[in-house]
Amino acid sequence: MAEQAWLLAAIPAGMFFVIAFFGRFLPRQGDYLGVLAIGTSFVLFFFVLADYLNFYDFEAGKTAITESIKWSTVGVGESAFRLRMGIYVDQITIVMFAVVTTVALMVNIFSIGYMKGEPRYYWFFALLQLFVASMLMLVMADNLLLVYMSWELVGVCSFLLIGFYWEKRSATEAAKKAFITTRIGDVGLLIGIILLWRATGTFNIREIIEIAEHGGIGSTYLFVSVLFVFLGCMGKSAQVPFHVWLPDAMEGPTPVSALIHAATMVVAGVYLTARLLPLFEVADGTLLIVTIVGLVTALLTGFMALAQTDIKKVLAYSTVGQLGFMFVALGSGHPDAALFHLMTHAFFKALLFLGSGSVIHATHHNQEMDKLGGLWKKMPITGTTFFVGSLALAGVVPLAGFWSKDEVLHATQSWDGGWALILLGLAAVMTAFYTTRLFIRTFMGRPMDQHVFEQTHESGFLMAAPLVFLGILAAVSGFVVWHGVGTALGFPGGITEFVFLEEPERYHIDWALAAGSVAIAAVGIFLGAWMYWGNSTEKSTRLANSSPGIYDMLRNKFYIDEMYQKGIDKGLLGFSYIVSWFDRYVVNDTGVDGSAQVTGYSGYILKFLQSGRVPNYAMAITLGVVGLAVLGLVVRA
Amino acid sequence: MTFDEGQGYIVLATLAAPLLAALIILFIPSEQKMAIRYVAAFFSAVMLGLSIYIFAAYQVDGEHIQMTLKWVWVENTAFLGKDGITLHLAVDGVSAPMALLTGIVAFAGTITSWKLNYRPKDFFILYFTLLAGVYGTFFSFDLFFFFFFYELAVMPLYLLIGVWGSTRKEYGAMKLTLMLVGGSVLIWIGIFAVFHEANLGTFDMQRLFAAGNDGTLSPTFQKIFFPMICIGCGVLAALWPFHTWSPDGHMSAPTAVSMVHAGVLMKLGAFGIIRLGIQMLPVGAEFWMPGLMVLGIIGALYGATAALTQRDFKLISGYSSVSHMGYVLMGLATMNQIGVTGAVLQMFSHGVMTALVFLLIGALYDQAHTRDLKDYGGITKVMPVWVVFYTVAGLANVGLPGLSGFTAEFHIFVGTFRAYPVFGALAILAAALAAGYMLRMFAIVFFGPFNVRWKDLKDLTPLETMAGGLLIGSIVLMGVWWAPFTDRIGHTVAAIPGVIG
Amino acid sequence: MVPLENYLVLSAILFSLGVYGVLARRNAVLVLMSVELMLNAVSLNFIAFAAYLDPERIAGVIFSIFVITVAAAEVGLALAIVIRLFRNRATSNVDEAALMKW
Repeated sequence: MAEQAWLLAAIPAGMFFVIAFFGRFLPRQGDYLGVLAIGTSFVLFFFVLADYLNFYDFEAGKTAITESIKWSTVGVGESAFRLRMGIYVDQITIVMFAVVTTVALMVNIFSIGYMKGEPRYYWFFALLQLFVASMLMLVMADNLLLVYMSWELVGVCSFLLIGFYWEKRSATEAAKKAFITTRIGDVGLLIGIILLWRATGTFNIREIIEIAEHGGIGSTYLFVSVLFVFLGCMGKSAQVPFHVWLPDAMEGPTPVSALIHAATMVVAGVYLTARLLPLFEVADGTLLIVTIVGLVTALLTGFMALAQTDIKKVLAYSTVGQLGFMFVALGSGHPDAALFHLMTHAFFKALLFLGSGSVIHATHHNQEMDKLGGLWKKMPITGTTFFVGSLALAGVVPLAGFWSKDEVLHATQSWDGGWALILLGLAAVMTAFYTTRLFIRTFMGRPMDQHVFEQTHESGFLMAAPLVFLGILAAVSGFVVWHGVGTALGFPGGITEFVFLEEPERYHIDWALAAGSVAIAAVGIFLGAWMYWGNSTEKSTRLANSSPGIYDMLRNKFYIDEMYQKGIDKGLLGFSYIVSWFDRYVVNDTGVDGSAQVTGYSGYILKFLQSGRVPNYAMAITLGVVGLAVLGLVVRA
Repeated sequence: MTFDEGQGYIVLATLAAPLLAALIILFIPSEQKMAIRYVAAFFSAVMLGLSIYIFAAYQVDGEHIQMTLKWVWVENTAFLGKDGITLHLAVDGVSAPMALLTGIVAFAGTITSWKLNYRPKDFFILYFTLLAGVYGTFFSFDLFFFFFFYELAVMPLYLLIGVWGSTRKEYGAMKLTLMLVGGSVLIWIGIFAVFHEANLGTFDMQRLFAAGNDGTLSPTFQKIFFPMICIGCGVLAALWPFHTWSPDGHMSAPTAVSMVHAGVLMKLGAFGIIRLGIQMLPVGAEFWMPGLMVLGIIGALYGATAALTQRDFKLISGYSSVSHMGYVLMGLATMNQIGVTGAVLQMFSHGVMTALVFLLIGALYDQAHTRDLKDYGGITKVMPVWVVFYTVAGLANVGLPGLSGFTAEFHIFVGTFRAYPVFGALAILAAALAAGYMLRMFAIVFFGPFNVRWKDLKDLTPLETMAGGLLIGSIVLMGVWWAPFTDRIGHTVAAIPGVIG
Repeated sequence: MVPLENYLVLSAILFSLGVYGVLARRNAVLVLMSVELMLNAVSLNFIAFAAYLDPERIAGVIFSIFVITVAAAEVGLALAIVIRLFRNRATSNVDEAALMKW
């Protein structure tokens, strides 16, 4: 079955066409077909998993199932350019499969309730199918070309879904921003991929890694190409300085934010870095860059999240920050920690987004904290699951987030001096702080807007069920780190023994670090609770007023968006105006029309030779003949 | 009659079909507009069918020049030896996809012109004459007829734009024709120079290709005359800085002419560079290719940058064509199998893509009579099919995987990286700029608040949907499963001696 | 026998007279007559060369017949033009007939 894993992607892909073309004419616009397709993929995943676990044997070197077909050939003989397309199922793929299929199924079910009555209902479901298909293809591709193709396809799905409410100017702008920003990263990715091809002659990931490990690529060359690839990962995973698109992407419908902009697509960068980590290891210095990018992102977005009042924006910044955590883990050479955090984060962040979706749905599109508060009473299920999710995000024992964050912190110890650990700890404190703020200001204390509060009601079954399911996962999925839990589930051990770079590593709890981690969460939560308890903004307002400069800076996200906007308007568009001007006035009017005018003008001048007087012509003819005769004589002589 | 000879007659039939169509329409009274349209549609369908047949019947494991038909026209006279001037028609792996492209675009163009009500008779006569020229150029393996058909394809444009066009049509038509004829002059000089230098008394291309490779055409000669032919053909391929006819010409041309012009005619230029340049003057090509590469990358970046701030639909497409034809030239300039194959892929891809874009712009302009982006907004509400089609075309333009643009650009990038990595990186950057101008246009025109001024706009008619669907089908086919194209193109490209592995 | 040079000199003199006439005269009819003089000089050359250099073939003679024919046609046309000119402008001075210009 694992050889046929491509079916997982093929089924939703086929369903995309069915729903896109015929969805309109089907009862309920075919939403059940979407659930059916992704449900099938979800079920098939377990067959793939079973098959894979049967096959898996680390000692014998059997860790990856591959299958590929000939795709195209250019030219003949040795020098021909041959492309193969295929799948590569290994531990990382399995983890990604689990995340993508689970979250996608939950989001699909949730969307039936959430999107009810929206215009273009079928189109939403069609796009979800396309997205899931491309995302699954992305995580099982065995070559970088297929990775890039799926990478762009998930990007365009993201574009179309962010711009789903295209009547809103802001949604359109956000979609454009998301696509173009990631596209800039993708320029790097494609350059990197082709550079790697140039050195190795193949797109196959396994082969590239092997060649690189055997020193087949010059070190500077490898460094440059790996950095280019990483640029693409940064763009997709919204790392600084590409982070600007993700908060704006919250213009999309909330289930989309949960699926694409929290759980799956944005982790594609983490996935690809993890997949290519052996290359990063070989290329000296790249791991440090990955770590620094992750740290800067985690810290910067932590600060930005402090001053946001839109619940989805807080979650968006939090997502970017958590992705930073994953990159720090990767940079520290620990794909196990990164993938573990990726998985738990996918569950609890999807939960939080769906929870906020539930709130937004219930309050008729209110997502400003200034209008919310005290909703737990009105929405017990959403409130409870959101509570679980928040605790998991804050990293409270024994919820999923605790274990994975602990692993990430543990991973940073591979950097001497502990600077990475300290900075990341600071980011974790901020995470706990703004999570607490988010929860209190949304669900606890007094309602800020009585009118909104009155009309709020709990969401229906279709929306509550995914919340509960994800809530359970957010609570328990962290335990897979334990050897016993892993073996009980049929894995060769805990997740660190399953996902690893060179050698499987059994999980040992580091008590000091765990205690520190608990303390971090406690400090953050305490600070948040002290500041906002009872949904009171008194203290925070005072704090903000005491240092307005800093507050404004946080509130305006360090003015990075404005800087970019100015750069684009003044720089790129200005340059474009110059080029257009150049094209019109220099190339066209001077060069092209100019030469026409020169022709015309010389005609104007020369026409005066045409005097109309016969004797002049006769004289000219005579002189011409005489001239020619003289010339002939001279030449002959 | 052997099999190959029989195939040769099919090639001849493909070339004769548009001429026959023009002839038949000539004898239909001009009041019989419906009859004219039906005849036009019938012959376009025949051409499409024959083109598909030629593409499918091309044997990827046979000789790379197939389906040969050779009729001697003049030989053994004063300055001509054996096979002096022959109607030598054949298909190779480069012209097979080009013929398919012509068939598709011509058919789509014909049924898009169904609505055309002003002198359809004259329009279709010229239109089919142009198409005969296009087919002839692609099929000719004789320099004389190559040039003859090349000119036959260019000349009707003047009338087609001048009579049926819009927006400064006289200026656009005149500029386009003059620039293209200027290019032709250079080609003509080049052709005579080659004929004279080779001194074989023949215009037969196969023998001249051999002459170019065995040293009969001396390296010095090749180095002198390659730029002439390259620029001459390059004008038609929007080679920077000889591209300015493209924005203006497209702006003035009527829909079907824009489609055929941007879709097929511009490819004649690049095709000429392959045939007359790379195949006939390989040493010269080798010598000058870095220069062409520079002009190509300038065109690619320049077109994309200029397109970023345009406000007219057709200007955006015009500049984007400059950018995409820049890719074609870059692909050719790599002089390696992947790059040149990519260039031909891009010729096909850009052809179907731009034809679709112009079809859609025409469908909108016919109703709204403005092409200023700022006048629109949120028209997805009234023209959903139109918007979906445009989105597909636009994303193909941007190079989205799964659509033809990516397939082509990918091969070009890989080829360029093999030869000149820095230019490859710049080319990818130009592809990112493409995302900028396309999405900007999407955002302004398709999305945002609905402008009620456009509440009466009609979506695509069934005929236009059919034409657009055909083009979209080609875009997706090539984007997903490109092996049929690369097999054919690569088969021939590998056989060109100047092109390295 | 008279040497060939004599004919050639005569022809050259006739031709030069014709050129002078064309350039110096202002009356259209006189200009025409001067042109005829030049043509006759050429014809004389043709015949002289034919008779002296290649007596068997008579190509030069035939050419001079062509010249005479053409000259006749030309005179017919030119006189017609001169008459039209005179009727319209009451002059046959070529200097005054300078309409065919920019």
